[in-house]
Amino acid sequence: MLFLLAWKNVWRNKKRSLIILIAIALGLGCGLFASAVMYGMWDSTVNAAIDRDLSHIQIHTEKFRKENLIENYIPGGEEIERQIEKIDGVKAVSGRTIIDGMAASASSSTGVEIKGIIPDQEEKVTSVVSSITEGEYFEGVSRNPIVIGRELAKKLDLKLHSKIVLSFQGTDGNIIYAAFRISGIFETESSSFDKSNVFVKQSDLFNLLNSNPIIHEIAVRLTTVQVMDPAVKKLRGMYKNLSVETWQQLAPELSLTYETLTVELNIFLGIILFALLFGITNTMLMSVMERIRELGVLMAVGMKRTRVFILIIIETVFLSITGGIIGMLLGASSIWITAQKGINLSLFSQGLSSYGISSHLFPGLPGELYPILFVMIIITALISAVYPAFKAIRLNPASAIRTY
Amino acid sequence: MALIELYNIHKTYNTTKIPVHAVKGVDLKIGKGEFTAIVGPSGSGKTTLLNMIGGLDQPTEGKIVVDGTDISTYKPDDLINFRLHHIGFVFQAYNLIPVLTAKENVEFIMLLQNIPKEEREKRASELLEAVGLGDRMKSRPSELSGGQQQRVAVARSLASHPSFVLADEPTANLDSVTAEALLDLMEDLNSKYDMTFVFSTHDSKVIKRAHRVITLEDGKIKSDETRKVLQKNES
Repeated sequence: MLFLLAWKNVWRNKKRSLIILIAIALGLGCGLFASAVMYGMWDSTVNAAIDRDLSHIQIHTEKFRKENLIENYIPGGEEIERQIEKIDGVKAVSGRTIIDGMAASASSSTGVEIKGIIPDQEEKVTSVVSSITEGEYFEGVSRNPIVIGRELAKKLDLKLHSKIVLSFQGTDGNIIYAAFRISGIFETESSSFDKSNVFVKQSDLFNLLNSNPIIHEIAVRLTTVQVMDPAVKKLRGMYKNLSVETWQQLAPELSLTYETLTVELNIFLGIILFALLFGITNTMLMSVMERIRELGVLMAVGMKRTRVFILIIIETVFLSITGGIIGMLLGASSIWITAQKGINLSLFSQGLSSYGISSHLFPGLPGELYPILFVMIIITALISAVYPAFKAIRLNPASAIRTY
Repeated sequence: MALIELYNIHKTYNTTKIPVHAVKGVDLKIGKGEFTAIVGPSGSGKTTLLNMIGGLDQPTEGKIVVDGTDISTYKPDDLINFRLHHIGFVFQAYNLIPVLTAKENVEFIMLLQNIPKEEREKRASELLEAVGLGDRMKSRPSELSGGQQQRVAVARSLASHPSFVLADEPTANLDSVTAEALLDLMEDLNSKYDMTFVFSTHDSKVIKRAHRVITLEDGKIKSDETRKVLQKNES
């Protein structure tokens, strides 16, 4: 009956209880939604980076990781690609020839990373093909087609089917100049990626280099992220003299932000609860102060102080949990609704793209955050209840029953 | 052996610079089955004495024995336990928990005594029937009149099988008709079940009904008269 009494006491002053409930619900609901937006933002950033360029695993020579010179290619790269394709959990493999060079137009020039790819292989590993906004992915141009980013096209004042001249160092140390024609222009979430990467056919690059196929980077896309650890272990075992790295190792700043995100969100929600703690304490204190006489009678007729203490604690927990559940439902439903179509932030796309963040967000939260939040609510309730509960048990029954 | 025995009870409050001697050497015995009123003007020490009899306060000096147990040196938690099992209370107002029904209010005392649910429900029903509120068990205090609330308080005070019931100004907030009806009930319980009632009161209706009237003045017993003496004095 103590629980029944506590629950009924919560609703003695409906207006006051509703006010604090709404405060808790709105505070938590908004906190959850804001967290989901942040989480969705970084989730999409990581996924975009993996889709765009990183893929799940990349393999290089150790020398290439230190200095990406043309001669630091993977010996037997094509054979290694074929071997990797057969490994369990591997969805697709793409070998890339990577050369630092210059891209020039009639009006301007800029440094770029030239990526020689096999288009059919590459489109299974990354999503550049789906980022094409103008033209085609190596179609429509018969000789030396090139796919460049929107930002690069703007910078060099180029359009579809314009000519672009690439210059780079060959295997013999001489500078090679080659004209390419733009077959497609892509636009990804990252403006810096769009500005600094160009894609050409590997075969065209080998012709210009006048060399056998040379592969500097093997990008591996897995069926799911869950198989990454065993896949990496296997690859490192097979290719001990090569550098096998996951996307986390390739983009440590991205990985760090993502990993600390859950901790940061818990701290964010914890701060909201800390602020609510004072409101809950105040509400319970008012509730105790207006029941001094009643509490005096209860202690007079034989209710132990421990039980009075527990009663106030239970009332506070009920109040907080009710508000917390409503808040979580509010937050979860707002997340679910906005996740259906996403949130369009194209108004801020320029700023977001400089960080590689998509302007179309899909809010979401990891499921394990909700039970953690529930525990945090209970802890908040318990802390809030201590002072009012102590106030209640320190009443002298003899004087309390005569309070007016 | 009397039910309530007070030996040389003193109570001094030292909360201000000048100590206040509320009770100054009271000796008193109240037997089982008595229907006693303690009366006196404000400042007579009536409330203080009643608090000590009811185990709500401790004497500065002296001994209080209730039902054979010396409670003068009990610690607060022991006093709470003693009150729960030995003393029933009826206060002037705010007796009942407003969010519980009449039946739940009566059950509450038995819940504190850890009595099983079935037993306490049965006893609560019986008690409410006995006080004439068998048809109002599911009503909340706000749905009951003042007199009905006090009846529920009487039922609750009896729920714990107390040694005696302490009633502090039970008729103060009632009109005369309702007050008389409440006193009828208490007298009936007193004669039927030999339940001891000790009142603290200013109400003449209560004083007239009491079988014994103890008058306090300046912290001491001024007079202690039984019904026969009172009737003789009145005539």
